[in-house]
Amino acid sequence: MIDKTKNTYELTLDGEVVAFSHGESLFEISERHKKEVPTLCYDKRLDAFGGCRMCMVEVEGFRNPVASCTTKASPGMVVHTHTAKLEKDRKTLLELVVSENRQVETPELSGFASQELTQLANRYDAITGRFAGAKSGTSRTEDLNPFILRDYDQCISCYRCVRVCAEREGDYAINVMNRGFATQITTEFNSDLRESECTFCGQCVQTCPTGALADKKALRDRKTVGDIKKTRTICTYCGVGCSVDIMSKEDKIVGIQPAMDGPANLGALCVKGQFAYDFVQHDDRLTTPLVRKNGKLEPVSWTEAIDVAAKGFEKVSRDHGNEAIYAIASGRAPHEASYALQKLMRAGWGLNQIDNCSRA
Amino acid sequence: MESTEKIIEEWRTQPAPLLGMLHAFHERDLKITEEAILAIAKALRIPKAELFGTVTFYDHLSMESGSHDDLRICTGPICSLKGSQEILKAMQGDGARSMPCSGRCDVPIPALRGNRTYQIAPDAIVPTPETPRPIPNPGGLEECVFAEIRDPDRKSLAGYQASGGYLAAEKALNDLGRERTLAEVKASGLAGRGGAGFPTGEKWQAVADAQGSPKYVVCNADEGEPGCFKDRTLLDHDPHLVIEGMILAAFCCGASEGFIYLRYEYPETLKTLGQALQEARDAGLLGKDILGSGYEFQIHLRRGAGAYICGEETSLLNSLEGKHPFPRNRPPYPVTHGFNDLPTAVNNVETLASVPWIVMNGAARYAALGLGDHKGTKLISLSGDIEKPGNYEVPLGLPLKTLIEEWAGGIPGGKKLQAVTMAGLSGGFLGAEDAYAVTLDEPSVRAKGSFLGAGGIMIFDETRDMVDLGRQAMAFFAHESCGKCFPCRIGTQRLTERLAGSAGPDTFAAWREEVEDMGQVMKSSSACGLGMAAPLITESLLRLFPDDLASTIKKANS
Ligand SMILES: Cc1cc2nc3c(=O)[nH]c(=O)nc-3n(C[C@H](O)[C@H](O)[C@H](O)COP(=O)(O)O)c2cc1C
Ligand code: SF4
Ligand code: SF4
Ligand code: SF4
Ligand code: FES
Repeated sequence: MIDKTKNTYELTLDGEVVAFSHGESLFEISERHKKEVPTLCYDKRLDAFGGCRMCMVEVEGFRNPVASCTTKASPGMVVHTHTAKLEKDRKTLLELVVSENRQVETPELSGFASQELTQLANRYDAITGRFAGAKSGTSRTEDLNPFILRDYDQCISCYRCVRVCAEREGDYAINVMNRGFATQITTEFNSDLRESECTFCGQCVQTCPTGALADKKALRDRKTVGDIKKTRTICTYCGVGCSVDIMSKEDKIVGIQPAMDGPANLGALCVKGQFAYDFVQHDDRLTTPLVRKNGKLEPVSWTEAIDVAAKGFEKVSRDHGNEAIYAIASGRAPHEASYALQKLMRAGWGLNQIDNCSRA
Repeated sequence: MESTEKIIEEWRTQPAPLLGMLHAFHERDLKITEEAILAIAKALRIPKAELFGTVTFYDHLSMESGSHDDLRICTGPICSLKGSQEILKAMQGDGARSMPCSGRCDVPIPALRGNRTYQIAPDAIVPTPETPRPIPNPGGLEECVFAEIRDPDRKSLAGYQASGGYLAAEKALNDLGRERTLAEVKASGLAGRGGAGFPTGEKWQAVADAQGSPKYVVCNADEGEPGCFKDRTLLDHDPHLVIEGMILAAFCCGASEGFIYLRYEYPETLKTLGQALQEARDAGLLGKDILGSGYEFQIHLRRGAGAYICGEETSLLNSLEGKHPFPRNRPPYPVTHGFNDLPTAVNNVETLASVPWIVMNGAARYAALGLGDHKGTKLISLSGDIEKPGNYEVPLGLPLKTLIEEWAGGIPGGKKLQAVTMAGLSGGFLGAEDAYAVTLDEPSVRAKGSFLGAGGIMIFDETRDMVDLGRQAMAFFAHESCGKCFPCRIGTQRLTERLAGSAGPDTFAAWREEVEDMGQVMKSSSACGLGMAAPLITESLLRLFPDDLASTIKKANS
């Protein structure tokens, strides 16, 4: 019996006595001790599901191995994470998983977790061609939504996408249809994602371990030359402040991935932060100030533009008083610019009439 | 025609409403419509995509026009021996489709249309006659579960009471009290008859000790195991015995609510049970203040929708709760986290039906019904190549040979026994030698690498194609795999392909290695009993019929 009044307990992990606290799973403890227990259906942000069985470990006194992700530790357990038998069974399982897919390799730009299956299959040397047979899953190539590739030929039915959509995003847009080998990820009535509850937050894409769900926009740059570089920053869209990794190849932004360790978002993004980055390098993006002259916007120098703006404010202040001025800072403006704007309002005009679009 | 609003209203306030709603719409519209899904999703606050997925999970619910009334012909292993595949082929043009073993292996091929069961032959289809009663105990032995089943009046409350019915409930509720009743059940040695064999008294004690209320008793009448038809026979002829068993279970557990989860393929039983429950309610045997004891207990009847896995207790609970019926991760077990995460005893029909007798006659007498060290009796459903197929109540420990040769009249036509299945299909095959050596109890059967389980035994004579029977068995498991865990979802598919010769290595040595590796990983890592049991089929074939397998593989690759 676990004594809930105590905080720490002990069990034996691969021959070493280790401490754990109440409620921890065997997988969490193994992680802490760098055991590299393999997983496919696990995402630490989600409730443990117990589907892939890759994480199985042996516990002395138990007839069969247990899934370490769903098994809570109890004091005195004697746990083995990498016996020869476990490793053989894991390899067999991976060979089975490989056998249901048309390919194992997937472009890195597909999504954050997209390399998991490939890496595991290589680690276990599991691309052997054994267990050949029918392939599972049917790709939804006719779903022409602009963001998410639904290449279910690659799907291994780990249901991470379904669970992230429900548990993290709260949209419940997708689920599992049919059963057994015929299971398939679906929306209600098997529709196009655009006709479902999907908000295109992209979280399903980022948790998919196979690239079955993939970032269509990023994949446009699959063949663009250059190595993928990731730059950690904060999404510029709103005040939540989600951490993102901007992926670039040479000078080109090729995609966004949420930072799984971002303190404000833990891997979540919304459709804007996830997919709406084209403006940065878009042809229509303004690169010089424009002033409307005779009804037509014309490029001018900064000096001239600031002059025109200052005159405009002067006129409003003269005709209507300073109270007629109100400033809204863009959520996409850097800190320095926001600071300068409020300084202008407060010190310049003596106003507190300033807000930020992030509150919207 | 009932309006959508009326159906929703009728069900929404009931416990476990989803299955009831789905069946009401299915019957009204002869299919599950998008409108029905949207209305139910809204009323029960189930996400639309989830409800859609759940509807597609069940074999008998379909969104195709008129599908409710499609003829479903049993293509289980025994019916296939009787030619059901050929009948199906001939009728497929008329929309007939196959259904897995539908629990009537002792009678001519069953077919289901809507809410009626038929018997079908190449040239005729007739409504199914009354379920056969078990023949008098051929060993002349005292019985427990079948003690009164041959009494033609037992079905009605009056008839049931005329032969001692509800006296056990009276005795427990108004005389023994909870502690002593529970002690009696524990001492009897009664263990689960649904397959897993967990000691019943201990299970009830755990529910009684668990925190939370209300507590529940669920009667598992899903009987999806191929070759098993004992639970239906009990419910058809002695429904009050099971109801009384549930009352006793509830009393021991401190439960106030109960469910009976009945498999879809038993529509006539649904009617019988509905009537019996109504009679019991009307007579004050269910409801508030049962038999003047102050004890309250209600029973709700729910119909499954076609999924073998819903017989697995945690999948069953998810199904009742209106969730996607994947099995749950255990622990926690249903005794503490069952229906709606509250303490729940899930018990098989036969287990429950044993209890009134135990309460009336005492634990010692029940235990003594078994032979040697084995306590009590077990129902065996016998089918296939046997003179007298049907249900038998055997003392635990009876030699299977006695059952086959003496009780059931042996193999017809003077043929020799080739093999039998155990636990329906879940125990794989035993060869003739082992079959004639085992006694009917878990230790003996397990020593041969199989298990007794729910007690379905199919008999195959020397002329049968065992590899093809194995293929059919594996195809059943693949069809019924829920798809939650990888070893079973992929393994049952690959093993089916290999037994069919449609994929896989072309040499027997490589074939064997693949099949054994898969079997090993399925047995040790599957998330529930389905995936763990399926490889017993290939394992036993490899042990018993390696030459047949080798020549099948050779043929498939030539
Ligand atoms: C795949 C699978 C199917 C099952 N089907 C049934 C069933 O149809 N009826 C049943 O009583 N138990 C079935 N069981 C066993 C139940 O999970 C559970 O052990 C049983 O209902 C408990 O009741 P008992 O203790 O009275 O046997 C099944 C188990 C598995 C793994
Ligand atoms: S993009 Fe977001 S809302 Fe849409 S299915 Fe994926 S997780 Fe759900
Ligand atoms: S689409 Fe990806 S995340 Fe979803 S079940 Fe398939 S492999 Fe898993
Ligand atoms: S063993 Fe099979 S039926 Fe059981 S949980 Fe796994 S996939 Fe589902
Ligand atoms: S990580 Fe534990 S079963 Fe998948």
